[in-house]
Amino acid sequence: MEENKREVVLSIKNLDVVFNNSRKHSFKAVDNVSFDIYKGETFSLVGESGSGKTTIGRAIVRINPCSAGAIYYKGKKISGKISRKDDRDVVRKIQMIFQDPAASLNERATIDYIVSEGLYNFHLYKDEKDRIQKVENVIREVGLLPEHLTRYPHEFSGGQRQRVGLARSIVMEPEFIIADEPISALDVSIRAQVLNLLKKFQKERGLSYLFIAHDLSIVRFISDRIAVIHKGKIVEIAETNELFEYPLHPYTKSLMSAIPVPDPMIEKQKKLFIYDPSQHDYSVDKPSMVDLGNGHFIYGNQREIDKYKEIRFGK
Amino acid sequence: MADKINAAAVNEDELFTFVSNDDLESEKIIAPRYSYWKSVFRVFFRKKTNWFVLGLLALLLLSCFLVPVFCKYDPYENVTNAYMYNKSPVEAMRLTGGFSLKWCLGSGQLGNSIFYGIWTSARTSLLLAMICAAINMTVGIILGAVWGYSKAMDRVMLVVYSIIANVPYILLISVLVYIIGSGFWSFVFALTITGWLGISYFFRTQVLIIRDREYSLASRCLGTPIPRIISKNILPFLTSVIVTLLATELPSYISMEVFLSFIGIGLSATVPSLGRMIQEGQVAFRTYPWAFWPPVAIAALLTIILYVLGQSLADATDPRTHM
Repeated sequence: MEENKREVVLSIKNLDVVFNNSRKHSFKAVDNVSFDIYKGETFSLVGESGSGKTTIGRAIVRINPCSAGAIYYKGKKISGKISRKDDRDVVRKIQMIFQDPAASLNERATIDYIVSEGLYNFHLYKDEKDRIQKVENVIREVGLLPEHLTRYPHEFSGGQRQRVGLARSIVMEPEFIIADEPISALDVSIRAQVLNLLKKFQKERGLSYLFIAHDLSIVRFISDRIAVIHKGKIVEIAETNELFEYPLHPYTKSLMSAIPVPDPMIEKQKKLFIYDPSQHDYSVDKPSMVDLGNGHFIYGNQREIDKYKEIRFGK
Repeated sequence: MADKINAAAVNEDELFTFVSNDDLESEKIIAPRYSYWKSVFRVFFRKKTNWFVLGLLALLLLSCFLVPVFCKYDPYENVTNAYMYNKSPVEAMRLTGGFSLKWCLGSGQLGNSIFYGIWTSARTSLLLAMICAAINMTVGIILGAVWGYSKAMDRVMLVVYSIIANVPYILLISVLVYIIGSGFWSFVFALTITGWLGISYFFRTQVLIIRDREYSLASRCLGTPIPRIISKNILPFLTSVIVTLLATELPSYISMEVFLSFIGIGLSATVPSLGRMIQEGQVAFRTYPWAFWPPVAIAALLTIILYVLGQSLADATDPRTHM
């Protein structure tokens, strides 16, 4: 109930993204997806590879065009054709952090250019001195040294590169950041470094994140709310604790059961819950996204919803 | 032996000291700064043969551009003096009174100096190759980059390319030379009117390969305009491709000129060129070999040197060789 009072930063309504090579062969990567992201929160999208997580992220920054539905940023439509001014505004305010820090940095450019690229594009500095000042500040904030500015990306370690990617986004002073699996390409020992930086910036600047990941333990650590996506459809949205305590949808349950337990005795005896999509009989009773209460949304038909309610709240 | 062990035991405390844990210290990069072009030249000059070939090219270039300046080549200077026609080096020098560079390679059909001839001709061929390569590469690369980037242009250009690429190149050039004449500049025009298209197409494919790489997507997310994406994200990655292309293009224009002049549709008789000299020399190359082999040797040497140097430079510009 409290959530309704919070400011919605990003709102996705019935989004479809279809890839078609020709009219005959088309693939629906994102199917009727809707969710809201509130100011200052971390909203995570979780799902297996190819489930459409990244596509949603890329649809927001308009790399992938929407086939149906709309995306609103602070109440303003940002999908489809929009005015040049709005376009510039959105590009500046919504930033993206990429999965592979090696691939997402231009290897033939110095760190100075990479971090300043957005500043140049929007001319966000008074003079050259101001630009250097800004770049040096942000590079220090992500824990790197100003002497790194003249270096090239291949001279850095994975964690350092990802922090350069982070600096490149942060220097734009964005309000919303899409983090597309920002740590899945990193060594386990330096994941926390990047996650802590993300949290630090959120606290300092009131950023909102769309965090795309497939590692549930990390998602649990960083997110306020989680959406579980399967084959382009969102099957369950809930707050982090709610979802981890009461995973209702069978797909969510199967994801939870796949989290490794750092104890070989338990891990060996653990029974994996395997999700079988054919268990849903949607031939007569059509499914939809239903609010179970307590901010817990789930995808199912009437019969399933009744069952989920019974499990969650008792009879 | 025992002394040594004792000494070590005494000094054990001084041997090791604790290093403080400094986060910023661990971020430092000790390796020397990397500079792309410095590394290119380091790799290039590491090979001894490159020094030799570069020296040879310098010598050839100097001769091509200096000999014609100091020694005017006039193909018709002895046209009225039939004694000078087709003389071997020894005879030509005897007739002109002692050793001279001018006649050290004998004389041609019309009593012209072969030595002056080859350098003046080589200059023409080199200039032609450089101008054509410069025009075709510039137009080809710029158009190719835009072609690869713009999907609308791709549709149009693919049709244009399929039509023009199917017209035989030699046919097109010979028809053009017949229409607009066979002077130096009309020959340049004939070689560049469609010459850029192949380069452009080659480039389009290269751009397509790297256009949608993640760092280009990142640049789009930062609102980088397309011209800057092309100049900062795409062209720097194609440096070695451009150099490789140049290494094959430059000599190919020299061979093209030689070949076209040889079959008689090249430069006109008033413009001294290697192809022209080879064509004149081949008529009686068994009887007067001195008029045939020097221009052939210069043409072959120029082509091979440019090709070898270009390939070495292309290898050096590939950052994978910089390790």
